[in-house]
Amino acid sequence: MEPQMKRWKGSACDTDSWVAYPVLSDDQSQDVELIEAFAAPIVDKKETSRLIRELNSLYPLNGLQHIKRVRACKGKGSPHPLEVLVCLVSDAPDVKDVSIGSLLPSDGVRHDGLGEPFVVKVPVRPPLTRPQFELVSKHWPTSFHEDKQVTVALRGELFSPPQKATMHLYMMSAFTAAEAGKEMGMEAVGAVVVNPATQRIIAVGHDCRGDHPLHHAVMVCIDLVAQSQGGGCYSFDKYPACRFTLSDTDTFKCSVEASSQPYICTGYDLYVTREPCVMCAMALVHSRIGRVFYGTASADGALGTKFKIHSQKDLNHRFEVYKGVLSKQCEDLKSLDSHSRKQRLEDCR
Amino acid sequence: MGTQGGSEAAAAESFYPSDEDIEKWMANAFDMAKDALENGEVPVGCLMVYNDEVVGKGRNEVNETKNATRHAEMVALDQLLDWCRHRDLDVRSVCEQTALYVTVEPCIMCAAALRLLNIPVVVYGCRNERFGGCGSVLEVSSANLPQTGTMFKCVSGHRAEEAVEMLKTFYKQENPNAPNPKTRKD
Ligand SMILES: [Zn+2]
Ligand SMILES: [Zn+2]
Repeated sequence: MEPQMKRWKGSACDTDSWVAYPVLSDDQSQDVELIEAFAAPIVDKKETSRLIRELNSLYPLNGLQHIKRVRACKGKGSPHPLEVLVCLVSDAPDVKDVSIGSLLPSDGVRHDGLGEPFVVKVPVRPPLTRPQFELVSKHWPTSFHEDKQVTVALRGELFSPPQKATMHLYMMSAFTAAEAGKEMGMEAVGAVVVNPATQRIIAVGHDCRGDHPLHHAVMVCIDLVAQSQGGGCYSFDKYPACRFTLSDTDTFKCSVEASSQPYICTGYDLYVTREPCVMCAMALVHSRIGRVFYGTASADGALGTKFKIHSQKDLNHRFEVYKGVLSKQCEDLKSLDSHSRKQRLEDCR
Repeated sequence: MGTQGGSEAAAAESFYPSDEDIEKWMANAFDMAKDALENGEVPVGCLMVYNDEVVGKGRNEVNETKNATRHAEMVALDQLLDWCRHRDLDVRSVCEQTALYVTVEPCIMCAAALRLLNIPVVVYGCRNERFGGCGSVLEVSSANLPQTGTMFKCVSGHRAEEAVEMLKTFYKQENPNAPNPKTRKD
């Protein structure tokens, strides 16, 4: 690895040309859902703890534990220092003219120290990412258990320059394989499986669907990884760019002990020039891939575009996905493909 | 077989197995599954039928190949491709007249593979709650995926309880910790 790393040091600008962003689950990337609630100013600060206690028992915020009951007023010139959440609009008694008196029956909460209610918006679910947190905080304060790695990843800063140089190298191998496949009349897609612990490339493959319609680059790589462990069921001998490294001891790790199922890609990373389709994405779940890096999205992609199979509820294996590695070059490959597809269609006419 | 003339869609539309076909080929698939169970293998039976002929037959080959994608359906699809190659037949026109009979709902990967090969009909026994690609986890069979072949029709529930029982027996033998597959509750 060492000599390669040195080679890449000189061209650091290359790695500045792309950013790897995480492909998060829908829950993490969706807009936050807001609902309306009544809040009221606390005009007498001394009543605060009593008000919170009484409101909590009259209008408990069930399932909304992330929402703070009281907030400090932002503006310094505010006549009152605090505001309290009285209840959700949906929980309020159905009256025409909402007032603090109509919201709070006299036997439940004494309204001493409360001003007239107004409507605010609060999030239905706790924020999962910093952008979601910043959005909901504009409406009402909530608690937020920050996943620091996600925050950094969303800024595109998860990977250090040396890490990016390594990633660049792996995606270049996938890119080169894609070009070799293209030369042989296949779609221009390439993939590489890497063991990040040893920084060894386990398998390099490209699309081979000219001979077999299901031999997408990822499926080719999965079989090559199996071959590296003494298994596999296809021969890719006629494609010199499809190859694997015979495993030494480290790669045999799980296949022996993991009883019935060979989870051959456990702990491995996949680099693929374009987002995998549904078949390939699920094949990666079955193979227990560690992480997936892809260059550019594809129309029916299953790791972000049409589905997010890596974060699909009910599936027994999840993995991290990052997109954008060598995005420009991978995008060019793809347009090369769609161009030749159009050409082929025209030739048919 | 006169399949020329008419659009692809019309050809797929006209192709549909009869009740007798389903009865007969599913009996065959269940025999395969039983056989697999008796030999300590995943009890899934799977066959592809074209023109009243079995052109692909598969059983799970994940363990011997160390390739986690070698599900019965993928093995059967490979046989279908070989069958076409040996007879010099056009893969697409054969696939468009081929039905898959399988005791358990195909997983998400296999469902996508079936789409990519333009198989129009899948007849299956029980649902696959863990991986199912025909509605149980995702509905790949009918999803809007214009670049991923064609959608296919599903005929489900044929001898479903029997298929579930075989899976339960297998997982009890193999791995006491594996979750039990569930049947549809309707
Ligand atoms: Zn694919
Ligand atoms: Zn499958």
